[in-house]
Amino acid sequence: MKAVCWMGKENMQVHNVPDPTILNPRDAIIRITSTCICGSDLHLYDGLVPTMEQGDIMGHEFMGEVVEVGPGISRDKLKIGDRVVVPFTIACGNCPSCQDKLWSCCDNSNPNAWIAEKMMGYSPSGLFGYTHMMGGYAGGQAQFARVPFADIGPIKIPDGIPDEKVVFLSDIFPTGYMGAENCNIRPGDTIALWGCGPVGQFAIRSCFMLGAGRVIAIDRVPERLEMARAAGAETLNFDEVDVLEALREMTGNQGPDACMDVVGMEASGHGIVYAMDKAKQMMRTQMDRPVVLRQAIIACKKGGTVSVPGVYASFIDKVPFGAYMNKGLTMKTGQTHMMRYMQPLLERIQKGDIDPSFVISHVLPIDQAPQAYKTFRDKGERCTKVVLKPWETVAAA
Amino acid sequence: MTPHNSQFQSDRGPQDFLSSKGILVGAAALMAYGLTRRSKTSLALATAGGLLALNASRSGNNSQTAHTRATFLVNASPENAYQMWRDFSNLARFMRHVKSVEVLDDTHSEWVVLGPMDREIRWYAEITEDVKNERISWRSRPDSLVQTSGSVEFRPHRAGRGTYISATVRYTPGGSLSKTIATMLGKHPQFMVREDLRRFKALLEAGETPTTLGQTHGPRGIHGSVEQVLFRETGNLADPQAAPSYSKTA
Repeated sequence: MKAVCWMGKENMQVHNVPDPTILNPRDAIIRITSTCICGSDLHLYDGLVPTMEQGDIMGHEFMGEVVEVGPGISRDKLKIGDRVVVPFTIACGNCPSCQDKLWSCCDNSNPNAWIAEKMMGYSPSGLFGYTHMMGGYAGGQAQFARVPFADIGPIKIPDGIPDEKVVFLSDIFPTGYMGAENCNIRPGDTIALWGCGPVGQFAIRSCFMLGAGRVIAIDRVPERLEMARAAGAETLNFDEVDVLEALREMTGNQGPDACMDVVGMEASGHGIVYAMDKAKQMMRTQMDRPVVLRQAIIACKKGGTVSVPGVYASFIDKVPFGAYMNKGLTMKTGQTHMMRYMQPLLERIQKGDIDPSFVISHVLPIDQAPQAYKTFRDKGERCTKVVLKPWETVAAA
Repeated sequence: MTPHNSQFQSDRGPQDFLSSKGILVGAAALMAYGLTRRSKTSLALATAGGLLALNASRSGNNSQTAHTRATFLVNASPENAYQMWRDFSNLARFMRHVKSVEVLDDTHSEWVVLGPMDREIRWYAEITEDVKNERISWRSRPDSLVQTSGSVEFRPHRAGRGTYISATVRYTPGGSLSKTIATMLGKHPQFMVREDLRRFKALLEAGETPTTLGQTHGPRGIHGSVEQVLFRETGNLADPQAAPSYSKTA
């Protein structure tokens, strides 16, 4: 089958590789119909997250049809022919973490848990198409994928809804939604949100779904700010205004009730501290550039909440912890506990509350993935979200 | 119960010096390889080599008897956990180095462990203590080539959130064969026991042990292949009872 392989920094290649096989009783094999490139894939593309291996198959946002089911899965849970969206986190369903519905912290799905334990104390769940610290599972930017614990994760999709409306249930829609939920929104709250990429777009819409009165969205890419305004957000371009001063003015010297960092480890900014962050990242003395996180903590109102759906990989410097402590802030974060959100959000899509396909800018055959990574990273061609079609050979759009 | 996890008793002969020297040479090679390549991965390799060398030189005073312990909270009743362990033929399903355990009678069993280069090493073990749902202890028979003993305890969580399972394993090598196995098992005894117990937990909770061994991938090249070994992924075996060739696409 064709698969997008990580061959090194800024080096994605499409290779013909063997088809996946069932390795464990609760595995299933999915024939993939749609798969996406995620912003968190760009951290791997840029070579910033340790423990990737040459030859790794990328991708954690995919859906398709079940073509094979292991003997450990009962047929009323999943059967051949089912059309499913696969969540990017892998969860066993029966460990203490899964029992607490902390699905992205499953105890049993990471075969390389010891590596994560060295870095984080305890290991989160395995992820598709990510680093080997997170399990090293082959991903879904391919024609087929092996899905472990397939009786827990994949959600069945009825016929009649196109892939484009539901494929983002695999990651970015639930991730944006959980980011909003983590803001502890009370009716009428003002939320400031950094990062108007695809997750940010879903987070903005989710904030309004959860009762926010105002959402102030911060970015510098014109088409993304435009998309945020279309959802009802007010916008700030951090190239043009002093974000902290603008937020102070807009909230009457109170600060936003909650601040959301939807950017993570590769934030852009200005000034000397940003330059130092960038230098340290290149020198590998600091993996992550926490520009947004610092700003979010400073901007947040006293007693407010900082929600962090943005991905961080390791250590950060110069976090204003004095501000965090003295203002009595709360921080909520985590990889998305997918299984909490997929069904309710599917129902919202079915009811017509939201059509997630608005975020798509490119639909491409899988052979064009390497170029698509570059375009998405550089935000060229007004690129907001790339959907790959594994079985098409000619560009569809 | 001692709070610390691993203790080594000093009993060091000339052969140990040779084996730690062997590690040093390997580590140096790894560092050299890493430093000659200009990439992040190579940097990681060189660092890993350095750490190995440091470890080898530090463990200079260590020896041979490895006594190690690990504890996991498992979402299962003490009864279920005890039953799974008490059938010693199950041990090979989660103990990485154990190829098979044949139960001979109620207290005796024959163990086959895969040594270096897949060499089979056998010994007989007997159960020395068996308190239902609480504790099992075993040791190799005195005439065995390998002197080993172990025990496992099952204690219910106070608020009913499962069972604390603690495993303790001790290897005391005698003859030259034992030295081989001590080198293999004793290098990272803590790692071995912890990972075995982690797989036991997965088997009880999830019914299988997670694995990526045998999954499809693109061309690994030298870097990818070396990392597979560095990350110890070649040891991520599926439960042998669960991992036959039932795949049609295989």
